[in-house]
Amino acid sequence: MQLGFLVDLHLCMGCKGCEIACKVENEVPLSTWRLRVKYVDVGTFPETKRTFTPLRCNHCANAPCERICPVSALHYIDNGIVNIDKERCIGCAGCVMACPYGAIYIDPQTQTADKCTYCAHRIASSMMPACVVACPVQANIFGDLDDKTSNISKYIMENQGDVQVRKPEKGTDPHHFYVGGGNVTLNPLASFRAEGHSLFNELKHLPIGGHH
Amino acid sequence: MVHTALEATNAVVTLDVALPGIVWGWIITMNMWAKSIGTGVIFLLFYLLKKYPDAAENLRFPVTVVSLVFIHIFLFFTVIDLHQMFRFWHIFFHPHWTSAITVGAWIVTIMVLVLFGMAFASFIKKDNKLFDKLLGWAVVLAVPVTLYTAAIMAESTARELWQMPTEAVQMLLAATLAGSATMILLGEKLPYEAKRDLGIVLGMSALIAFIVYMSELVFGPMKAEEVMATLEFVKGDGEYATMFWIGQTMAFIAPMVLVWLSVANKSVSLLKLAAILALAGLWITKHVWLVIPQLLNMS
Repeated sequence: MQLGFLVDLHLCMGCKGCEIACKVENEVPLSTWRLRVKYVDVGTFPETKRTFTPLRCNHCANAPCERICPVSALHYIDNGIVNIDKERCIGCAGCVMACPYGAIYIDPQTQTADKCTYCAHRIASSMMPACVVACPVQANIFGDLDDKTSNISKYIMENQGDVQVRKPEKGTDPHHFYVGGGNVTLNPLASFRAEGHSLFNELKHLPIGGHH
Repeated sequence: MVHTALEATNAVVTLDVALPGIVWGWIITMNMWAKSIGTGVIFLLFYLLKKYPDAAENLRFPVTVVSLVFIHIFLFFTVIDLHQMFRFWHIFFHPHWTSAITVGAWIVTIMVLVLFGMAFASFIKKDNKLFDKLLGWAVVLAVPVTLYTAAIMAESTARELWQMPTEAVQMLLAATLAGSATMILLGEKLPYEAKRDLGIVLGMSALIAFIVYMSELVFGPMKAEEVMATLEFVKGDGEYATMFWIGQTMAFIAPMVLVWLSVANKSVSLLKLAAILALAGLWITKHVWLVIPQLLNMS
């Protein structure tokens, strides 16, 4: 069994329901994200369009994070998920430097690396990942890539010419696919990134002993 | 990045999370810088003992101490950079051998033991034969200790700028540059010929390292979009352009010129100035190269 994700960007409407479900299910602290939806506006007024791209760990078959982890805190489980053992992690941040998708962060509460695990704990109980359950338009398709009859395999077959992964040149063999993606949605270098369009601000710490 | 975005699409990120910022900062720079000195002096001590055995005889113990001190500075900064520093022992009890971090930690541990053996042989046992035997092993171990940070950078798949074997070459050159500079400052009693040799090692290391950096600056962007975007930070009015050129000048350009002048004029003072500039410039150069790929958005 090799579990994988596919997001149909034609369907995603940027409601961020998946983001919230992920936050709640996994108790992801403020200012950190296992899954997020990026908004990119394309064109010039009035010919404009807003695109939405859910971004999460790609659970690569050739995962750089697993390779660089000095203590096997990041490890594969039998279903292909790249899982993390936070008790073993030493917080070297090698995985943060290795992940080409910026999917790993240092949890400010535990001071260890963290990322999307495809809700491995839910899958162990035969439940769908939280983001799949929350999506109102079923843009998230999740299942076994080894099973030709699974929804995800069928979806990939039906959309063969339109299925992409992020940064294929990195050779990571992601288990996360997009339908309806393009350069603007999947390549972070293909869009302008002005300051001031971030979720939350940078006021993270209470200043102690001084004025703010 | 702005320069790679197409004007036609005018794509603008309008809502996203903030960029993660610099994860490996000055602590890792200190790590690389101190390690270059700690391993570099071992290479140069080996050379001096082979070529000038009598003149370098008294350097055995002081150089071993300098190496031990700087290797421990390197280890100190390695450990304090960990977000869970008290779990450092996991590397030894849960080792993952595909990670250059693990392999490096083990090799450094063995090298530290050999260095303590050298200190014992020279200071307590006063046995030069034993010292020289251990020094041979220290030289062998110093190579992977120097190189393993390059391997970590190469395993950092996300950072296109850090390529093998370029980083390996730069790490070796950093060791010979820092090692020769430190030996110039330490070897007050060495004959001029030995100092000149150290100066030539310093000058050649600076020259080759400078050529490699400039090659990356000019040709790197022709091969990969991410490298082009990364190097924008050190070009033109880029955020790190001034720091980059200060580093290049102090670490490589000035020492090259000063070494040339010192050899032409047989001036040891100029050599010392070159050594100090090289050591300071190396820190700056390493820091810029460490930080700039982290300024790039990955997703």
